[in-house]
Amino acid sequence: MTSVREELASLLFDWEAGTLDDQGIERVRDLLRGDEDARAFFIQHQALSSALSLEADAKIAPPATEVPSKKSTSPTYGFGFWAAAATALLFCGLAGRLAYLEFSDSNTASVATSQQEVTSSGIALVTNLVDVEFDSQDDVLEIGEALSPGRLSIKSGFAQIEFFCGATLIVEGPAEIDLKSSSLARVASGRLRAQVPPAARGFSIEVDDMKVVDLGTEFGLSVSSDGADIQVFDGEVEVHSPEKDKRLLTAGQAVTRNSAGEFSSGEVTPDRFLDIASMESRSIGQRAARYESWKNFSDSLRRDPRSIAYYSFDEQGGWERKLQSSITPDNNELDGAIVGARRVQGRWPSKSGLEFKRPGDRVRVQIPGEFASLTFACWVKIDSLDRWYNSLFLTDSYNQGEPHWQILDTGQLFFSVRHKPDDIGGKPMKGPTHREVLSPPFWHPSMSGRWLHLATTYDADAGKTTHYLNGDILHEETIAKDLLVKTTRIGAASIGNWSIPIKPDAEYAVRNLNGSIDEFMIMSSALGADEIKEIFENGKP
Amino acid sequence: MDSSKNSEQFVRQLTEHQNRIYGYVYSLLGDHSRTSDVVQEINLTLWRKIDEYQADRPFLPWAFAFARFQVLAHLRDHKRDRLLLDAELAEKLSGEIEQGSSQVDSIRVALRACLQELTPANRKLIEHRYFNSMSVADIAEASDRTSGAIKVAMLRIREKLADCVQKRIALENV
Repeated sequence: MTSVREELASLLFDWEAGTLDDQGIERVRDLLRGDEDARAFFIQHQALSSALSLEADAKIAPPATEVPSKKSTSPTYGFGFWAAAATALLFCGLAGRLAYLEFSDSNTASVATSQQEVTSSGIALVTNLVDVEFDSQDDVLEIGEALSPGRLSIKSGFAQIEFFCGATLIVEGPAEIDLKSSSLARVASGRLRAQVPPAARGFSIEVDDMKVVDLGTEFGLSVSSDGADIQVFDGEVEVHSPEKDKRLLTAGQAVTRNSAGEFSSGEVTPDRFLDIASMESRSIGQRAARYESWKNFSDSLRRDPRSIAYYSFDEQGGWERKLQSSITPDNNELDGAIVGARRVQGRWPSKSGLEFKRPGDRVRVQIPGEFASLTFACWVKIDSLDRWYNSLFLTDSYNQGEPHWQILDTGQLFFSVRHKPDDIGGKPMKGPTHREVLSPPFWHPSMSGRWLHLATTYDADAGKTTHYLNGDILHEETIAKDLLVKTTRIGAASIGNWSIPIKPDAEYAVRNLNGSIDEFMIMSSALGADEIKEIFENGKP
Repeated sequence: MDSSKNSEQFVRQLTEHQNRIYGYVYSLLGDHSRTSDVVQEINLTLWRKIDEYQADRPFLPWAFAFARFQVLAHLRDHKRDRLLLDAELAEKLSGEIEQGSSQVDSIRVALRACLQELTPANRKLIEHRYFNSMSVADIAEASDRTSGAIKVAMLRIREKLADCVQKRIALENV
């Protein structure tokens, strides 16, 4: 005898295949009208079909080869983006949905069966910044950032840019430069020093209608509204301009071209152009100063009564297999046990971090107490997102009131607090057991190796969860009342991995982070956007 | 809240919940092309109602109310077409389906893992049918089996997937 479920499954299979006749449709309806079990089965069946269909769309979505350009790496999406998304949703229907799926999935080539090679476009890297200031938020550069063709503007200070062809520019603000390709830049204003090793010969800079072609050398260029000043410190360069045939400048020579296009010879003053060695020594000084200023700020976090757990990763001395709690007054009950993870350099050369690499790597902690609102924040350097779930902080198992903070392989930040009572080992719960809050994808392989500040606040009164990346809001969501958890607790937990006390499916439990962590804090309150910003500003490397 | 901020928040929410709305409509209609049309109408309706949208209230229940209305309207307007459910049944199931659809993302996550647990041959079948939209007859021909045999095999795989997904979600491996 076939059960109701089997019969319905067979009918729905035919329906999906397009072969169910009228009689069959009537039978489906009869079953659904009369049988509660049939209805439950139907709901589950249709949910699985929807999920399969959504997965299918995700797989046929075109590969995303576009890489965040310099301007679009900004984690907050402007209204323009959302307006465009709205248009897509409204006028393209399915295509709009595909666009979203593409946006959420294929950027990290996560689709297991049809992996695309990850691509990263860019023509240059920002390798150093000293005392640098920018006119607007859109201009902000970060060390390690890959630059795509486009405008680069600094208000003051120095930026070291390494072009993929091998040429290095040290740009002094105020400067306005248009990056054209991996071997060409156009300078509107500013002072810069170019170091072009033989491999990068042919690197060119355009100023107005003049072009300076480097033949393997070191030269300085200063551009203002009065004209351009070219000085060769080493090797030789070719200068092409409409007025004159190309002219060759060799070491020790300098020319000035005024706004009327007239050339005159000038003096060589290498001291006016900062070189790479001085840039490096200035940046060491600046890093040391930043480290000191972070330490001062960190002191205030240690004493903050809202700190539930705080690991600065900066405790001196024998913390070999122990991650010392940094909370004042000392409480060594909060010390974490380092399992596997290796001590590595943190955000600054003189500061440590922990690297999580192997599937077993983790820091075990035990955090007693009951709380309401929570804030999680850490500095993390992600090497890659290898797992479905890449752990930042997970409580053992997942019981009522326990938070889970992790990153999905799609690059989305994930936070949830379990709402339903414990059921591991017991009867499975019906219905949702938590409300997960997912940010839009924030991570792309081009960010690998950069220190990022991640934070998530959970406001148990307002029911609001907010995700932050580098001090800016990434996503905010209000949780429905019926899934809101008022009392949170942590207990035994792991940083950088998941530990489940009972054995199930060990294969699936691999959630180790592939990357490093430097500084980790949990606070018993949902910090405001300004406080998160402050933590970021005071902690950035 | 100024209006551009509100629209931004609105579009954010709409984008965020697209899959759930899709899941809801598909569950009731059981047909992909109809579902796409109706989701489209729902998006338009929501967009027109943006003035009524309040950023501090949960988006999904609000959106589902319109989605329900659009699905029922579609079922009534297309009464003569071949439809799986009638309006009356859809209305009856709507509440529980809302619940199910809000889980669609967890189901997808579980599903991906469950697909990996299938034997390669079984996974191939699912891929042919659902990802490459091959008809049962074509799959049968390609694999030199009868349509009946393919159906039996697919039903068994779906049952396995459903069990696996349910188990993973119940275990709350999240």
